[in-house]
Amino acid sequence: MTTIAGIGFASPWLLLALLALPLLWLLLRAVPPAPRKRLFPAVTLLLGLRDDDSLSDRTPWWLLLLRMLAVAAAIVGLAGPVLNPTTEPSGRGPLLVVLDGSWAGAPNWERTRDEMDRLLAEAGRADRAVALMRLTAPEAPVFQSAASWRRKLAGEAPLPWQPTTEQLATARAQIDAIDTDFDTVWFSDGLDYAEREALISQLAQRGTLIAYEHPQATTALRPVGHVDGMMEISVTSSQAVPSQVVTVLARGPDPGGTMRTLGSVTVDFGDTATIQDNGATATARLALPSELRARIRHFEIQGQRGAGAVALSDDSLRRREVALISSQSGNEGLALLSPLHYLRKALEPTADLLDGALSDLIPANPDVIVLADTARLPPDQESAVIGWVEEGGLLLRFAGPRLAASDTARTEEEPLLPVRLRIGGRSIGGAMSWGEPKTLAPFAETSPFFGLTIPADVTVSSQVVAQPDPQLASRVIAELSDGTPLVTRKSLGDGQIILFHVTANAEWSSLPLSGLFVQMMERLAISSGAKPPAAGDLEGTTWAPLQVLDGFGTLADAAALPGVSGPDLVEKPVGPDLRPGLYQSGERSIARNVLRADELLTPAEWPASVAISRYATAPERPLGGLLISLALLLMCVDVVAALALSGLLLKSGVSRRLSSFFLVATTGAALAVVQVSGAWAQGNAVPIDTQPDDIAPLHASELTLAHVLTGDRQVDAVALDGLRGLSDTLRFRTSVEPAPPASVDLEQDELSLFPLLYWPVTADQPMPSGNAYDKLNAYLRTGGMILFDTRDADITRSGASSPAGRRLQQLALRLDVPPLEPVPNDHVLTRAFYLLQDFPGRHTRGAVWVEAAPADAEQIEGIPFRNLNDGVTPVVIGGNDWAAAWAVDANGRPLLPVGRGFAGERQRELAHRFGVNLVMHVLTGNYKSDQVHVPALLDRLGQ
Amino acid sequence: MSSPPASGVTDPQDASPLTAGELRHQSEVAASHLPPLLVEAQHLAGSVLLGEHGRRRAGMGDDFWQYRPVQLGDSRRMIDHRRSAKGDQQFVREREWQIAQTVHLWVDQGASMRYASDKALPRKIDRARLLGLATSILMLRGGERVGLTGGMLPPRRGNAQVMRLAEHLSQDQATDYTPPEDRAMMPHARVLFISDFLGPFDPIQQALAKAADRGVQGVLLQVLDPAEEEFPFHGRTIFHSVAGGLSHETLKAGALRQRYLDRLAERRDALDHLCRTAGWRLGQHHTGDSAQTALMWLYHAMERNNA
Repeated sequence: MTTIAGIGFASPWLLLALLALPLLWLLLRAVPPAPRKRLFPAVTLLLGLRDDDSLSDRTPWWLLLLRMLAVAAAIVGLAGPVLNPTTEPSGRGPLLVVLDGSWAGAPNWERTRDEMDRLLAEAGRADRAVALMRLTAPEAPVFQSAASWRRKLAGEAPLPWQPTTEQLATARAQIDAIDTDFDTVWFSDGLDYAEREALISQLAQRGTLIAYEHPQATTALRPVGHVDGMMEISVTSSQAVPSQVVTVLARGPDPGGTMRTLGSVTVDFGDTATIQDNGATATARLALPSELRARIRHFEIQGQRGAGAVALSDDSLRRREVALISSQSGNEGLALLSPLHYLRKALEPTADLLDGALSDLIPANPDVIVLADTARLPPDQESAVIGWVEEGGLLLRFAGPRLAASDTARTEEEPLLPVRLRIGGRSIGGAMSWGEPKTLAPFAETSPFFGLTIPADVTVSSQVVAQPDPQLASRVIAELSDGTPLVTRKSLGDGQIILFHVTANAEWSSLPLSGLFVQMMERLAISSGAKPPAAGDLEGTTWAPLQVLDGFGTLADAAALPGVSGPDLVEKPVGPDLRPGLYQSGERSIARNVLRADELLTPAEWPASVAISRYATAPERPLGGLLISLALLLMCVDVVAALALSGLLLKSGVSRRLSSFFLVATTGAALAVVQVSGAWAQGNAVPIDTQPDDIAPLHASELTLAHVLTGDRQVDAVALDGLRGLSDTLRFRTSVEPAPPASVDLEQDELSLFPLLYWPVTADQPMPSGNAYDKLNAYLRTGGMILFDTRDADITRSGASSPAGRRLQQLALRLDVPPLEPVPNDHVLTRAFYLLQDFPGRHTRGAVWVEAAPADAEQIEGIPFRNLNDGVTPVVIGGNDWAAAWAVDANGRPLLPVGRGFAGERQRELAHRFGVNLVMHVLTGNYKSDQVHVPALLDRLGQ
Repeated sequence: MSSPPASGVTDPQDASPLTAGELRHQSEVAASHLPPLLVEAQHLAGSVLLGEHGRRRAGMGDDFWQYRPVQLGDSRRMIDHRRSAKGDQQFVREREWQIAQTVHLWVDQGASMRYASDKALPRKIDRARLLGLATSILMLRGGERVGLTGGMLPPRRGNAQVMRLAEHLSQDQATDYTPPEDRAMMPHARVLFISDFLGPFDPIQQALAKAADRGVQGVLLQVLDPAEEEFPFHGRTIFHSVAGGLSHETLKAGALRQRYLDRLAERRDALDHLCRTAGWRLGQHHTGDSAQTALMWLYHAMERNNA
C-alpha cells in the first residue's frame, strides 16, 4: 500500500487521472449551455440588438470548481484511500495467536476482536498460516489460512474464568507438540495468573512474541457481605487509581417481574481504597429495606460488561421471617427458661422474628413457624396451618413436657407431626434413671445435616420417642447414638414439618447451647448465614448449578452441567468444571462468583524481551466510500446549481417538481454520506429518560375530582370543564375545597387517589384492558365511586337502547357492579346536602340508577325514609349529561346552554346541587342517613 | 372552462378565453367598487344627446340648478311661483344642463397580449379586457353611450350594451400585433385604447392623428407584464413572439437588458409625446399590480377636464 501524506492508497496509479482535470476545465469552459426558448411579446424591441461578445455566457467559475471537485473526489475515492494505514512490517512464517479469553477481557472484547481481525487480515495478505489458541479453553493449535480463522472469529466469546493451572499445562504441552518455529501474538486480558511466566518463556523461544494489552485497569466485584445489617460491597481493581469511581447497582425483579435497579452505591477508590500488591480494593455500604433486599438477584458494576462485574446474590441476602409461638407466652417465667430463648438468640442475627398469636401471624405468611412445646392447635388454626404448610411453609416443632404429656398422635399420625409419639417420652441419665445422657449419632448421608461435626459435649437427657412405623426410618434426619430419632421430618404439600424431639431450651438437652444448633438451623434454611459458608460447613453436600454466568456476565440456564461438591464450590477457583453462577442444594442456594471474598487481581507483567503493543488508537479507515459519496453529493449540488443558473429552478411547475426531486436526491445523498461516515460517529447514544412527572403526590394531598379519558377529545374537554365547574361550586358553597380536576387514563394512572370518577360513556370508546379492570374493581371495592354518564337522556329514557347505553353495558360487564335500582325517593343522595327530587343535568328526563337497597330495608317508625344500606353506592348511572351542565369556561361562565331562559338556569342550578349532593355522599357516606338516629341516641344518653 | 382571470390562472398557450358571461361578471365585480363614473363632456357637438350629465351650468335638463331673479326677456311662464310667493321678488327656476357623452373603446385582442410571465399573474389580455369593460360599465351607469371603435358595435346606452361589449371583447385575434382600430369614431367622442403598444409605432401614430382630426380625445393605457418591464433573463436564449412570427436569439441575454430597457423607455417617450401633442393621456399598468388602481386611474383620466 502506497502512502501519500499519511493516507494509504490501494491503487495509487488511478491518481494519475487527476492530471486530466485542467483539460476538463478548459473543455467545460468552452462548451456553452444550451439555449432556452422563451415567449416574449416585447421581442419587437429586441430586434436588431447585437450581442457585444461573440462568446456565450460562460459557466461560472464556482460551478466549474464544483464540478472539478466532484470529479477529483470520485478519482481519489476510486483510488482506494485508507486513513491510518497499517505500515508495520509483518513477519513471515506461521503465526500463533494466543488469547486469554477470560472474563477480564469482556469489557474490551469488541476491540480485541477487531484487532484480531485486523491482524488476521494482515496475516492473510502476507499469506501466513495462523493458529488460534485460547488459554481458557485450549485446543491443539492447527495452522490454517487466516481467512478461515476470520470466519470463526465472530463466534468467539470470553469465558467466565481465568486460565487454570491445568489448562495452562495442557496449552504448554500442545505448544511443545508444534514442530515448526512460529511467531506469537498474545492478546492478554491484563491479569496475571499462575504458570504464565513459563508459557511466556516457552513462546519466546519459538519466535518473536508480541503482546497486546489494554491499558485500562480491570475492576471486579467481590461477593457481597454483611456488616451491621448493611450490605458491604467491595470492588477490587488491578491498578490503584485513586480517582476511580465506580457505581454498583443492585438489580432484581420488581413486583411485576421486570428486572430493575433496586439500589445503587458509589464506590470511590479515592476514599476507601486499600492498596495491596499493585491492586486496590474499595468498599462501600448499601442499606436497603429487607423487602427490597430479598429481591436482589445480583449486583453489577454500572457500565461494565463481564462476569467479573457481576456478583450474584443468594440466600445469604435473604432474611427469613420466622414466627415464634410458644404455648407459655403468657407466663412470666425466667428468660433463660423460656422455650424460645435459645432459638431467639440463634435466629436474631439472621432472620426477622415475628411474635404474636398464631391466628395473627398466619396471614403475614412467614417463612417459618416455630411451635415450641405446643401439643394441639384449635381446629380452625390447625387447618390454617396445614394450608400454610401445603403452600410451602416450614413448620418447626419442638417437644416439651406438654407434648409429652398430651395424647397427641398416639394412635394415629397427626397431620402436623411427622411421627406418632409414645406416651410420656423418656429420660436418660437423670437423677431418677439409669444410664448416661445420650450423645448424637453421626448424621446419615441422606440427612440435610450430613457433614456437620458433632461436638462431643452435646448430650440429650430427655426426649419424646417416636413410635415405630413403616415410614419412620425415612423420616429421621438425626438420631441419638442408640438409634432413637432426635429430629424427624415429613413433607406436606409443598412444605415440610420438622420435629425436634427435645425442647428448644436447655431443659432436655444441651443441643440448643451448642454451635451445632445454629448450623442445623442454617442447614434447614431457617436461618441464613451472615457469613459466607466455609468449606467445612458444606462438607458432604452436593450443589447443582441452577444458573451460570457467561463471560459477559449474563445469566443463563445451567442446563445439564454436573453438580459440584460443597467444599469445592467454596474453595476451588472457577474454571470449566466450576462455573460462576447460582447453585442449589435442597432449600438452600449459594452463589459462586468469579472472585472469592479475599481474591485479588494482579496485573500481568511482561518480561523486557516481550514487545507490548497497545491497541491501535485510530484503526484503519477506508475513505473511498466517503469520497465517492462526496462526489455524488457535489454532482447533485451541481445539478441544482445548473438548473438555478439557467432559470429553470422554481420557475414553472415542471421544474419545481424537478428541483424538489433533486433536493430530495441531494438530501438522500447527504444521508448516505452520513451513513457511510457513520464510523466516524462512534459516540454512544445516550438514552433519553422521559419519565413523566409524578403528579400522584399532588392528587393525594388534595381532594381531586377526576374523569375518565374516553378518547373523544371534545367529550373529555367538556368533562374536565364540568368537573372544574363542580369544583368551583363545591368551593363556594361547601367546606369541600377540591383541587383542579384531573383526567385519568385507566391504563396508566393510579385510581385510588380520587374519591369520585366521572365517566362519560361514548359509543365508540375502547374497552379497558384486563389490568385496568382489575384496578377499577379494586377501586370500587375500596370505596371509590364511578358516575357513569351516557349523555343521551334527550333521546332515550332507559339508557339501554342507545349506542352509548349498549357500550356502557359492555364496559360494565366485567366490573363488580351490585344490583341497581332507580334512585328511590328516600335515598341519601336526595338529601346529602340539598334536598332534591330529581337530578337534572343538561337533560332532565333520564333515570338515575344506584345500588339497590337490601330487601330487608324497612321504614322506621316516624321517619320518612327507610334504614337503607350502610355503604356508599359504588356506581351511579345516568344519562343526563351532567358535565355539560356543570361546565364552565376559563372565566367561570357557563360553557354550554342549558334549557331555555330562567327555567334553564334553574335546571343548571339543580344540576350543580346534584353534583354537590353526589360529592357529599361520596365523602360522608351514610352520615345523613345516620343523622336521623341522633334524637334516639341523645334520648338514650339521657340528655 | 378556465378560471376567472382575476385569479390569474391562465397559461399563455393553453388558456381558453373567458366566456362573455364570465367576463361581464368579473367586470361588474371590479366596477362595483367605484361610484358611477360621469365622464366629462367637454364639447358640445352634434353628437350631444340629452342625458343625465349635469354640465354644472343652467340648461335643459330635469334636475334643479338654481333660482335666479327674473330678467328681462323671461317669459312669465318661466316664473316659479312657489319660490316667488315667499317674497316680493320673482324668481325663475333654472334646471341643470344635462347631456350624454359618447365613449369609444378599443382593447388589443392580438396574440402579443396573450402572455403572462408567471402562473400567478393574469395574462395581459385578460387584464386589458377587464379594465376596458369595467370602465365601460361605469360609464354606462353614468348614462354614457359606450361602443367599440371600428363600427362593429356602435355606441349605445343601457345595461344591455354591457353584454354586447363583453361578447365582442372576448374574441381573440390570431395576429401578433394588431394596430389600433381607428375607424367609425364619432366626432368629439372620448376614446379609450388599451394595448401593450409593442407593435409597429406608425399605426398608433396614424390612429391618434385621425382621432385628433375628428376632435376626439382619449386615453391610452399601456398594459405590460412585469417581465417585459424588468427583462430578468440571462444566458443563451431564443426569444419569440406569442404567435411565433418574430424571434431573436442572443448568447448573453443579461447583456441585452440595459439596451432593452432603453428601447422600452424610448417607446414610452414616443407614446407620451404623441399623446401630449394630440391632447390625450397615457397610462401605464402592469399585470402584477392591482386592477383597482388602474381603474381608479382610468376613472380620473376619463373624468378629467382636458380642455
